[in-house]
Amino acid sequence: MTPVRLKPGFLRLDRLWEERPLERHYEVVIIGGGIHGLATAYYLAKEHGIRDIAVLEQHYIGFGGSGRNTAIVRANQRTSENVRLYKEGLALWPVLTDELDFNLMFFNCGNLNLAHTEAAENSFRLSINTAAFNGVRSEYLDREACKELIPALDVSDRPRLPILGGMYHPPGGVLRHDAVVWGLAKGASPHGVSIQQGVEVLGIDTDGARVTGVQTSEGPIGCEKIAIMAGGYGARVCAMLDIELPIHPLTIQAMVTQPLKPFLHHVISSGGYHIYANQTLKGEIACGAHMDPQVNYTTDATAWYFKHQAEAMVDILPCLAGVRFLRIWAGLADMTPDMAPILEGNLEFDGLYLDCGWGYFGFKSGPVTGKYMAEWIAREECPEILRPFGLGRFLENRYMGETAATMKYGHYD
Amino acid sequence: MTFRITCPVCGARDIYEFTFGGHERGPRPDQKELSADAHFRWAQFRTTRPEPQEEWWYHGAGCGVWFSTWRDPATNRERRPTGEDEAS
Repeated sequence: MTPVRLKPGFLRLDRLWEERPLERHYEVVIIGGGIHGLATAYYLAKEHGIRDIAVLEQHYIGFGGSGRNTAIVRANQRTSENVRLYKEGLALWPVLTDELDFNLMFFNCGNLNLAHTEAAENSFRLSINTAAFNGVRSEYLDREACKELIPALDVSDRPRLPILGGMYHPPGGVLRHDAVVWGLAKGASPHGVSIQQGVEVLGIDTDGARVTGVQTSEGPIGCEKIAIMAGGYGARVCAMLDIELPIHPLTIQAMVTQPLKPFLHHVISSGGYHIYANQTLKGEIACGAHMDPQVNYTTDATAWYFKHQAEAMVDILPCLAGVRFLRIWAGLADMTPDMAPILEGNLEFDGLYLDCGWGYFGFKSGPVTGKYMAEWIAREECPEILRPFGLGRFLENRYMGETAATMKYGHYD
Repeated sequence: MTFRITCPVCGARDIYEFTFGGHERGPRPDQKELSADAHFRWAQFRTTRPEPQEEWWYHGAGCGVWFSTWRDPATNRERRPTGEDEAS
C-alpha cells in the first residue's frame, strides 16, 4: 500500500530538520546534541555566518540531560555573575519561541523556594538582594503568604521541617524541554547545520598545539574548532585529551505521579527536604531529588529516592498522600566545587572550547549560553558575561558563592 | 536498580548504608611551600574516565568503619581494574 503523504503541518510527517550526509571536514564540530550544542550551532549559523558545522550526538538529540531535567527555569541564584546570565536566559524563552516558530510551552508560573531554618531565610535574603540589584523580581514571603499562594501547602508546625517562609520568584517557570531541543534543531538546520545522530566521539585529534579533528564511530572528521558541549559527559570527553577538571558527574533522579486536577500552580522547591516539584500541563506532579554522591556515568534510578520523594512531598503537601508515581528516570549532573559552570576557550589546545560543569543548571542556561559561546567561537574573544566562569578561578581560590544557595543543609543531605 | 558495597566487616550491604568519601587522591602534598594552585589540583582536579577507581566509603549505618574499595563509574558497580568482580 502506498503510504499516504500529507503536507507537513498539523501531523508533521516530515522531519523538523534535514538529514545530511556526514562530511569528512567541518569548520566547527560540536560534541553533544543537547540544548547547549544545538543552541550554539543555531547562533553560530544565524548570527555569525558560520554554517559549516556538525553537531555530533551519540544517541539522539535530547537523549541526555536535555531530555531528563525537570525543565524548571529561574534567575534567583546567589551571585550577581550567575543572575546576570540566567536573567538574560529567562528573557530569551519568549524570543526564541517567536524566532523558531515553535511552541516551547513556556509556562511562566513563578517559583516558590521554601525555608525551614533561619539559615535558609538568611540565604534567601541574600539571593533576594542580589536579584534586586540585578533588576530581577524576587521577594520574601512569610508562611501565611506562602499558604495564600499555594493553599495545599501545610504551613503548620506538624511537618518534620516546618515551613518558615519562602523566596517567591515570579519570572521563573517551566518549559517543555523536548520542544526546546526540537525547536533549536529545526531553527539550525535551514542555516546549514548538520545534525548527526548516532555518531559517537571516540577521540580528539591534535597536532600538539591545536585540535585538528575528532575520531568517531563513523570514522575520522577533520575540523578547525571543537566545542565540547556534552553535558554530564563533558568530563569524559575531556579525559580523551587527559584534561583534568574539578568535575564530578553524578546521577540525579526525577519522577512523575499520575495526572491530577490542577492544584499546584507554581514551581515549588525546598532545600531542606531536597525536593523541587511542579504540576505539568498534563496534571502530573513532576518532582526531582538530590543525587547519589559517588561519581557515576549510569542513569540508574533507585527505590530509595521514590521513598524519599514520597515522604517529603506528602509531608508538605498532605493532599498527595496515596497518589501514585508513574515513572522515574535519571540523568547526569556534572557538579563543580562551587556549583557554577566551567566555560573555556582554547583550553590547553587552540580551537578547543569547553562548556560544562553546569550541574543541574544546564537546562535553564542552555540558549543564552549557546548564544555567547557562539560569539566566543566566532570572534575568538570571550564575551564579557562569560568571563567569570573560567577554569582558572579554582586555581586562584576564587570560588563562586553558589553553594550558599540553600542546598546544603537538612536531614536529607 | 539498587546495588551494594562490600564492607570488609559486614560484607555486601545496600549502598544507602554507606557514606561516600571521595576517590583515592594519593598522599596529601607536603604543606611546606604548597601553593593554592597545587593544593587545589590535588584536592579537586581529576580526569573522570569511565574505568574503575579506588575510593573511600564509610559504613555509617553498620559497623562504622572507613575502608577503600574499587568501583567502576561506567557501571556503578564494584570492580577491580583487572576486571574480576569484587562483589558477590
